[in-house]
Amino acid sequence: MQVAKKIDGPASKADNKPVKKTEKDIYKKFKQLNGSHPYKKTTPDAFIDYPARFRKGGKVRYFNFDLAKEMGLIPKDHPEVVTEELTKSIIQTFAIIIINEFDEINNKKFPEDEIKDGKYMATRYLQLQHPDKKGKNSGDGRSIWNGQLKHSGQVWDVSSCGTGATKLSPATSKFNKFFESGDPSISYGCGYAEVDEGMAQALFSEVFHKNQVKTERALVVLEFEKGYAINVRAHKNLLRPSHFFTHLKQNDLESLKSLLDYHIDLQRNLEGWDKCPQGKGKYNFFLKNFAENFGEISATFENEYIFCWLDWDGDNILMDGSIIDYGSIRQFGLFHSEYRYDDVDRFSTSILEQREKARYIVQCFAQIIDYVEHGEKKSVTKFKKHICLNSFDERFEEVKNTNVLFKMGFSPKDCAYLMKYDLKETKEFRKVFSYFERAKSKKGIVKVADGISWDAIFCMRDILRELPQMIIARKDKVTDEEFISILKSNYATKADLEMTSYRSKMIKSFQNIYWNLIEKAAKHNKLPFDKQVLAISMRSSVINKMERVTGDSISIIVEKILKQKNKITSGEIYKLIQDFSELQTYKPHEKPKLQKETKGLVKQFFEIVKEHREGL
Amino acid sequence: MKLIFYSGGHDFENLSIDKNLLELSNKESPQITYIPSCSYLCDQDFIEFVNQYGKFNIHNIINFPIDIPYTEILKTEVLKSDIIHLSGGNTYYFLKYLRQSGMLSELKQFVKNGGILTGLSAGAIIMTSSIETAGFPEFDKDENDENLKNLKGMGLVNFEFFPHYKNSKRYDREIVSYSRSHDSPVYACPDGSGIIVNNNQLTFIGKAFCFFKGKKFIIK
Repeated sequence: MQVAKKIDGPASKADNKPVKKTEKDIYKKFKQLNGSHPYKKTTPDAFIDYPARFRKGGKVRYFNFDLAKEMGLIPKDHPEVVTEELTKSIIQTFAIIIINEFDEINNKKFPEDEIKDGKYMATRYLQLQHPDKKGKNSGDGRSIWNGQLKHSGQVWDVSSCGTGATKLSPATSKFNKFFESGDPSISYGCGYAEVDEGMAQALFSEVFHKNQVKTERALVVLEFEKGYAINVRAHKNLLRPSHFFTHLKQNDLESLKSLLDYHIDLQRNLEGWDKCPQGKGKYNFFLKNFAENFGEISATFENEYIFCWLDWDGDNILMDGSIIDYGSIRQFGLFHSEYRYDDVDRFSTSILEQREKARYIVQCFAQIIDYVEHGEKKSVTKFKKHICLNSFDERFEEVKNTNVLFKMGFSPKDCAYLMKYDLKETKEFRKVFSYFERAKSKKGIVKVADGISWDAIFCMRDILRELPQMIIARKDKVTDEEFISILKSNYATKADLEMTSYRSKMIKSFQNIYWNLIEKAAKHNKLPFDKQVLAISMRSSVINKMERVTGDSISIIVEKILKQKNKITSGEIYKLIQDFSELQTYKPHEKPKLQKETKGLVKQFFEIVKEHREGL
Repeated sequence: MKLIFYSGGHDFENLSIDKNLLELSNKESPQITYIPSCSYLCDQDFIEFVNQYGKFNIHNIINFPIDIPYTEILKTEVLKSDIIHLSGGNTYYFLKYLRQSGMLSELKQFVKNGGILTGLSAGAIIMTSSIETAGFPEFDKDENDENLKNLKGMGLVNFEFFPHYKNSKRYDREIVSYSRSHDSPVYACPDGSGIIVNNNQLTFIGKAFCFFKGKKFIIK
């Protein structure tokens, strides 16, 4: 094949660190990503296999060394530079475009040596924007799966977005015809992805990953002409609930069971799954685990103000609750709980509705398990009170309660103690906390750039950061007016900040419980009160940092990175993203390890984040 | 007027100055405010600062960055502190935001009212009449990315301060040259050393040097 002989553009330029000839073999694992995947054995209807050809002109804009090492794609001691050999392997593996139905109908011919050996699958799954609502014609509209890797007892799925239009794209479904990849007459549906999407995914997912928010991760961003890109993602299992729902909706019991068994077997590689029974009991084990994961992730979304459009189709989330597809993902600076994304013919769910949607997905899985076990599909409403929903609710509550203590600045040990011995007071604090967190502007619903919102007026991070400092300084509580003055956001109008008797009561309640919890922890730790407050103040200042990333700031930072793309190498972009995400972590006693080379740009990003810290 | 100038270095190198500071405060557990030179990464630096004074059983410490919005409520408490510490960092950036936030004049008033002001490196330079010493030697200077033109410091003392001094020819060459064209003496201290100003009395802790009218003098 005539591939990757010429490597052009500064970001692709090898970083002048020679890789010895004997080290060529270190990239042999890339060859395993040739389209083969065990999913293809589950059921023939679950995917469409496409031949593919080499796509010219690709430049490596981003390569995630950390992830590649974890996956065993490169050795642990590989330098964090994109060498010539590495570039070659990345391009040979990922610079591909499918030969689709349009190409076949139009009898398009491609040079033999450009055609890849393997076939690459586009999987079918349910998507609410598709008219059939059964998942017959929906799924990977512009993605294919590169394959699966095994390393150190772990399994990794790898897929690429932007590899050409499949017949599962919304455009084919809508216009009932096949499209040429890159057809300029349609945008969403042409099968291409864009480089800014890939960079935003890389940046956002690394921030989330470092803060233990479950997510897919970006492995590679390959840029082509006109800002098009192939964005490669990886995760330990890229199956979504919607993969299952397509079989459920079509009453295809055999495929559903086959897929479920495949999924459970794959999960056995993960921590905690060694207890999963081999026989029929495995389904209940799976269901409980699934319910807990979804309870946890929906609580995390609320806690971290993460907007992830969850709906009945289970499309934007993976089976373990990880985020997939950063197209509409946002992280808000305040609890803008009424924000809705405007998707032309419908509005998205809001953050607060995400919980109910996640719960409903769990309920659907209770239906699936029952169907698989008994061979008869019952109505989903029959599972409204299924025991797995208790697991969901319990985990949701546990995560929410622990998180409010964590945000206050208690150490994990103190959180565990207070959860065990002061759960009642913790819950009371959460209630009062929630009152302020959810307070909205009297202006009502307003239009924003990509949807609608109803501004939150209080910044909880500010009060949690400053209150312990005020206690240290004053050894007393703050007045109602002072409390509001610390808490108010830039969204709050004078009318929003009016002091009512109820608000005054809530401020007193907030401070009383806050003090009580600190006193209890101090007593338990045998520490003087002031020492305990100082410890809380130090943790809280990192956890509730003023400069927390938002969706708005990510977009601006990506723009900035792309403006610099011809001046910095892909290795430097990797370092930038690593350093930036390191700054966003909640590790109260760890100093981020930043690199000299990226310091200047990271500092500029920091200013952007500061400026947009309360936004969407 | 009570001031302490720290040159820099690790916390264990500054133990002696720290002890002097606590004696100066005349309190068992004084209230201290830490003002970082920049909010960027200041939380981690604050933790190090707390650990430094935690050794003396002091837990009343506030972190107060001035280059990001802050509330008047917290500022009022800050100005009631027994000790305010100006951290190290980029001297130009720090001075710019101290001036812009109005804290520069507030701190002068704080000192007049009897509060103890301490500064480390950049923080110490800012307490003097000029921050020009941050601009050399070429191999170890602060970058004036802010393009700050007014380099006047707080002017609390009639000397200038040169932190992180190393007793070597390449340092001496530049400081001697600078002192030739300036009227005030420049006190240069290596890391771990410092100067205590208690009303009109000047005490040097650790090694100290003076550069004046193109000549170098060993103080201690």
